[in-house]
Amino acid sequence: MATYVEEGNMPDELTEDTDFIKDLKINSANLVDIVLDTEEEFGIEIDNLSMERMLNVGAAIEIIELKLAENDR
Amino acid sequence: MWVRQLRSLSLNLQKMIGNDIVDLLQAAKDSDWQRKGFLDKLFTSEEQFLISSDIHPPLMVWLLWSMKESAYKINSRETKLRLFAPVKLVCNNLIIHDNKATGNVTYEGRLYYTESEISVNYIHTLAADVPEEIERAKVSIMDFHTDYKSSNPQSVSHHGRYLALAYL
Repeated sequence: MATYVEEGNMPDELTEDTDFIKDLKINSANLVDIVLDTEEEFGIEIDNLSMERMLNVGAAIEIIELKLAENDR
Repeated sequence: MWVRQLRSLSLNLQKMIGNDIVDLLQAAKDSDWQRKGFLDKLFTSEEQFLISSDIHPPLMVWLLWSMKESAYKINSRETKLRLFAPVKLVCNNLIIHDNKATGNVTYEGRLYYTESEISVNYIHTLAADVPEEIERAKVSIMDFHTDYKSSNPQSVSHHGRYLALAYL
């Protein structure tokens, strides 16, 4: 993820509330790369409805856990 | 009494503009629009057709993207809702003439008008609830950083080398 964060904007610690756009200043066009990277990394498919709320670290974790659980079923 | 208040409130709501600038050099560096899944997650099938049939596909990618972004900026201010739903922002009626493009973006049942400027280095789009606001708005594009807060712009967009400010 650090790939999409401009130098100096990466905090020492990420929390669930860390917002990709507001806190990490990630360009909104690069949000889609985070979604695609997450899909590739975890072997999941993030549908558009889930993607809608993938704006912070907490939501991303929640979606990954949900999709991984669906894959296990 | 409350009817009048409501009416003036809704009139105020209508006067909104949003703007978005894409630094084409920065975009080429940061995004691989040909990456698998990239276009599917951002664009409708009609928009993807516009991209694939354009003589310069990346320019169409960033034109459509800046239309969506500028309209989204108005909507998120109006509704106070933040969502990453680019495919729900649908670009329509796109007409490109020389270095200008006009069009509409619909989102969650609302319609926004857009006007874009396409230059060698950037694409800039101004969006508004009503077409007259686009005519009335003043846009200032700079390739340096400046303290703009006191000038009170209604919409600020920053990307790569560029800062775009829109005033009503």
